[in-house]
Amino acid sequence: MTRRLSFLTLAALVIATPSSFLRAQTPSGTQTPPDFSGVYYPANEGGRGARAGAPPAPQVPPTPLPAPTRTAPLSDGSRGRAPDAPVLTPEYMKRWEKMRDSRIAGSYESDNTAKCLPPGMPAMMNMAYGMEILQTKDKITFFSELNDALRRVYLDGRKPTPATLDDPTYAGYSTGHWEGDTLVVETVALRDNTYIEGFTPHSDQMTVRERIRLLPSGMLEDRITVTDPVALVKPWETVKTYRKAAFPNDQLREFACAEGLEHSK
Amino acid sequence: MTPRTIAVLAALAVSGSITPPAFAHHSNVAFAVETVNMATGVVKEWKWENPHTWLIMDVDDGKGGKVEWAMEGRAPGVLLRAGWTRSVLKPGDKVTVHYSPSKDGSKVGMIARVTMEDGRVLPNAPPGN
Repeated sequence: MTRRLSFLTLAALVIATPSSFLRAQTPSGTQTPPDFSGVYYPANEGGRGARAGAPPAPQVPPTPLPAPTRTAPLSDGSRGRAPDAPVLTPEYMKRWEKMRDSRIAGSYESDNTAKCLPPGMPAMMNMAYGMEILQTKDKITFFSELNDALRRVYLDGRKPTPATLDDPTYAGYSTGHWEGDTLVVETVALRDNTYIEGFTPHSDQMTVRERIRLLPSGMLEDRITVTDPVALVKPWETVKTYRKAAFPNDQLREFACAEGLEHSK
Repeated sequence: MTPRTIAVLAALAVSGSITPPAFAHHSNVAFAVETVNMATGVVKEWKWENPHTWLIMDVDDGKGGKVEWAMEGRAPGVLLRAGWTRSVLKPGDKVTVHYSPSKDGSKVGMIARVTMEDGRVLPNAPPGN
């Protein structure tokens, strides 16, 4: 009698316990991590994702549309550095000013994406033309439609080897781990010929740390910290948010940047 | 330049082998992005390619003549989401283009939007942006 009662009590407890407590436990003891997989567009101010899933509006407006006043954001630095831009050391500020002068004159010599090169980390996380995330237990891959750029984040505990550190790339080498629902990522081995944002230069000592999570709203947030003891006076922080795409805008297109290069000087 | 060089260049120009500067621009910094002008004209060619689409058109010069302009558009992926298609523009179509001019004065512009003869508007970004 007592044994059966104990069994029933135990059974009742198991049934009554919220399922979250019974979810599979990872080795660190936390619950199963969220799945970030999907297609997203940036939702930052000035970004291209405010209504990522909305179908195109009716194309014949009832009254004449006002003429546009601007075709694209100003990107030649002619208005100086933004208040929230990375704070550069004097040497790197001089490099920026030299590029600024060349861009004001109309040259795109300092523009990597114009040369069909990948934007590199962290700039690729702007994901201006859309982002696709593929997630498995051991690896999460971020794909950017702009210049078909991608980066891989290893989640299986591996660390960069000396050979890896000796081989910097545009996307860098990224490893990550879960802290509850947040993915914490460390990126090293970054090429020094990319720009942090805009055309802000950096050194080969730059590293990037991210905290990525889904917000209650369903948007994805990437909190980025860039550290560069040579080029930056202090670490630089920025936050990117992305909205999930809805059909039929949830298909990214191939970019094949070099297609049009034959026309360019 | 030697006379021979001049002759060679002239021959190339006549044969059309010198690539016109039309396609050289490739980055926003080449354009005065905060100036927007308007041009009406006829489509000569519509190139659907990465990293930029190109609308080659004969623009009315306001004096009864025509001037060829190369208008740079955004990448096909972005334009598809903004309501364009590969075949949305055809040679012979009459269009109005709002564009930012080149900083160097060449006849190359960056498209802000295209308005078709029937009033249909093709913006350079998906809606809501």
